[in-house]
Amino acid sequence: MTSTEPMQPAPRTSGAPGAPGAPGTENLKRASFESLTSLTGVERDDLAAPRRRPATTTLGALFVMVRAIFGLLWLLLLALVWDAEVAPALAIDGDVSHLTLIAIIVVLGLADLALFWLGALIWRGSNFARVIVMIGLTLSILTAASSYFTLGEKITMESTLFTLTLDILVLLALSSSDARNWSRFRGAERRERAAQSRG
Amino acid sequence: MTSTEIVEPSSAPPRRRVSLLAVLDKFFFIFAGVAAVWLAWLLLNESLAIGWWGIPLFIVFWGMLAYLALPRLHRVLTAIYVPDYFIGRTRTSDGLLGDPINLGLHGSEEQLTTAMTRAGWTRADPVTLSTSWRIVTSTITRKSYDEAPVSPLFLFGRMQNFAYQMEVEGNPAKRHHVRFWRTPDGWLLPGGERVDWLAAGTFDRAVGFSLFTMQITHKIEANIDIERDFIVSSVMDADLAVRLRVLEDFSTGYHSRNGGGDTIHTDGDLPILDLRAVSLDGDENTPAPVSAGGGAPFPVDSAPEVSHDEH
Repeated sequence: MTSTEPMQPAPRTSGAPGAPGAPGTENLKRASFESLTSLTGVERDDLAAPRRRPATTTLGALFVMVRAIFGLLWLLLLALVWDAEVAPALAIDGDVSHLTLIAIIVVLGLADLALFWLGALIWRGSNFARVIVMIGLTLSILTAASSYFTLGEKITMESTLFTLTLDILVLLALSSSDARNWSRFRGAERRERAAQSRG
Repeated sequence: MTSTEIVEPSSAPPRRRVSLLAVLDKFFFIFAGVAAVWLAWLLLNESLAIGWWGIPLFIVFWGMLAYLALPRLHRVLTAIYVPDYFIGRTRTSDGLLGDPINLGLHGSEEQLTTAMTRAGWTRADPVTLSTSWRIVTSTITRKSYDEAPVSPLFLFGRMQNFAYQMEVEGNPAKRHHVRFWRTPDGWLLPGGERVDWLAAGTFDRAVGFSLFTMQITHKIEANIDIERDFIVSSVMDADLAVRLRVLEDFSTGYHSRNGGGDTIHTDGDLPILDLRAVSLDGDENTPAPVSAGGGAPFPVDSAPEVSHDEH
């Protein structure tokens, strides 16, 4: 994790003579201490060529999209009960009430659509979308944590335990090395293809 | 990770870009682990607070702790203190020390797969959502699943190239299995021996609860030498072209634990099977047919130096 610098100048170090009975190994000799990065040149296919979408990416992307759909459903419910319950509680009526509702639906609806789009991008292997969603999840978890630790707010089944659990599960999935390797590999693949088509 | 160009020996040392994305990735990796531990604590509190409904929630807490929070913490911590060079042990996906390497092999991938198939071993499916689901359904319906995937173990920083297994009749909890890794080109074993493949074979004797990781895992037979010798003899019995050499006391006899906390005993010998004389055609008595990949219906996912198709 810590050392990324190559520990030996080149694979062909001629140190001690090769093992007796193993002719021709001298010029193949390779140190047993090797950082992972120095191996990646040789073993690139094995290390960084995940061909299938890993389960973590699948689940993470699905959860993000499901969350966006739930957000849209919640907006629909809000619109249905708005006149009967929410507007009286907020002590607004008439045009103000409807404009408020429309503003909420537009803002939150666009946010949910953006979230759905990000989920779809993660599904397709976008590293950018993965990082953006992880930033959002981290902020959401930090907000919950700060009100839990500093304000002593309870996190229970009745309140936010369920959404917090989902947030943390999605963050675990998207930050896993499977998901990271796959989306980075897809990104590198796309860049290579773009470079090829350019010239 | 994305080094596509080969750096010439004479050119300047490769640039070391500290990518912001890489730093962010590392941060999220660790932060998610810490958050998971906090969540496990919240779930435990809640399960103790809500009475009988706390029992299913306690199971959720256990799953969270054993399968998500602790593995992530192990990953972060073992990356710091477990050596990543060859010490004769594999590592689990959490970074813990796993099954010992107890077999070396010479030969191409096709020769290896041919020899294993001939010896009656079945290649394990890769772990995917669909094969995991098939494990669940075959367990419930009590059907046998010969090609059941084996868990990933890591050597040289990567998962096994493939694994072979042999079911024990009438008992899905018991099975022989052996994982194979292709060694990096030019890589030598401690002591200077060159092998093309390294393998770790162990015998699953039961399914049980591991106090070490708190997960439900296969318990392995402590005397791993029995399984090692079983693999060697099964391959040698099936094909007379296989030669054997033993590096005695390769790892001096040690007693240890694998990644699931099971005890391991071994005498430390490392047998090396030479498969270079194994013919690839289906039957040894018939002359070589035209198709070079005979007997290997497996996708060749990591091509070694291919020299066998020039008959």
